[in-house]
Amino acid sequence: MSITQPHSDAFTGQIDMRRNRHLKMALGWGMFILFATWCVNGTIIADTDWSRIGGRNGVLASVGRYISLDLGLLSELIIPTIETFMMACVGTVLGCFFSLPVAWLGAANVTPSKHILYPLGRFLMVVSRSVHEIVWALIFVSAVGLGALPGILAIAMRSVGFISKITAEAIENIDAKPVEAVRAVGGNNFQVMYYGILPQIYPVVLATVIFEWDINIRRSAVMGLVGAGGLGLLFFRQMNSFNYGGVTMVILAILMLIVLGEVISHYLRKAVI
Amino acid sequence: MTSVLSVKDLRVRYAAKGPEILKGINFDVLSDDFMAMIGPSGAGKSTLIRCINRLVEPTSGSINLLGKDVIALKTRALRELRRDVGMIFQEFNLINRMSVMDNVLSGRLGYTGNLRSLFRHFPKKDIDQALYFLDRVGLSDHINKRADELSGGQRQRVGIARALMQQPKLLLLDEPTSALDPKISREVMALIRGIAQELGVPAVCNIHDVQLAKEFCNRIIGLQDGIKKFDGETSTLRDSDLEDIYAMEVL
Repeated sequence: MSITQPHSDAFTGQIDMRRNRHLKMALGWGMFILFATWCVNGTIIADTDWSRIGGRNGVLASVGRYISLDLGLLSELIIPTIETFMMACVGTVLGCFFSLPVAWLGAANVTPSKHILYPLGRFLMVVSRSVHEIVWALIFVSAVGLGALPGILAIAMRSVGFISKITAEAIENIDAKPVEAVRAVGGNNFQVMYYGILPQIYPVVLATVIFEWDINIRRSAVMGLVGAGGLGLLFFRQMNSFNYGGVTMVILAILMLIVLGEVISHYLRKAVI
Repeated sequence: MTSVLSVKDLRVRYAAKGPEILKGINFDVLSDDFMAMIGPSGAGKSTLIRCINRLVEPTSGSINLLGKDVIALKTRALRELRRDVGMIFQEFNLINRMSVMDNVLSGRLGYTGNLRSLFRHFPKKDIDQALYFLDRVGLSDHINKRADELSGGQRQRVGIARALMQQPKLLLLDEPTSALDPKISREVMALIRGIAQELGVPAVCNIHDVQLAKEFCNRIIGLQDGIKKFDGETSTLRDSDLEDIYAMEVL
């Protein structure tokens, strides 16, 4: 046996396979590059008004306007920041309340009717999530007028989908044994839920609610764009009056709020789990 | 001795076209019985014991418990009947995230209103009774521990205390020792039988350990594949009866 032995037939077969695979890879990459070029060409190159951008200096000057902070806005920032924060909190709590019945309907093992109410629960979950928070806000602004209330309602509606879905799944995954025990001592439906089901699902549900609250701070920051109060409204006004320094101030306030939310939710989550 | 429980021609199917799990079971439990139900896995022991408090709905037959026709009971009356039947489970069926005390108190839920349940605010006499039973089963040092911090034997003691809180008129024991080691099994069986005698409560006990059944129970029923194969005093159980109960199915 020496390594210079000529290739056997088995070898040639494998070498062919290898060559084949390389060919397929090259073909795949080629197609990807063609597709990417087509996208860039269609969306950026053909779709941009190049003459309006001007030179490199023009772009830098435009961006530069945002850097000179408008510190005079500081006192006006406080109330909307608090409002944004409260909108997120109240909206999340309200969303939890709406989520309870939806989760109850949409959990296969506890739903009161498998053929009518279960699909309804599942449908409500999808509706809540498939409508964007800005669209929810638009609906509620037209329904109840400007201010924080439509923002709160929008956030609540948008939160239902995720919270109720996770809750329903947690209910579906519970251990049936404690439930059986509560039924066996003569417990009613409420007691079965409160003693048999709730202790099993609450860590998951609480973690989900904290997560949703964290996201809701982000959501409530943009609610004002459609007139639903908070920092978004201030942002919109600064933009409209071409006060770029003020826009940056609002963005910084939002950033600060989000970092705060991140920190709080980090510690809350630790405390719960 | 009077009959506490009387089961006649009990049949159960889980699905309309599924196999029959119980094929016409008859038996009586007297007020001083500590009865064992033995038989191989899948014989229908768990199903049978769950028919008695209707955790499983029987397909046909009749069950008379404490003078009530169990099968005819509506929701509310059924809950009232269940309060009188203490149940102890193979896997303990405790609420793991609650304390030992709350688990024991949950035995009173049938007597507790929704508002009190919501705040876990049980009456003083229930709490005193819980403390008494916790002491009786030897758990007075673990009252505020979470149920999942306990060992298997201790958890089953919590389950026993919970069942006793109901002041039951009948005890249903579903393989109470199967998840425990032999030594603890014996202790737990002795504890349950001791308390049952002390309180004068009859018991029906599913058990697959024939040795334990012979040791602790005065009467034995043997089930195989949904059919009663033996029913009599423990002393009358012969090896040939056991062979009959545990026989492999002949093809």
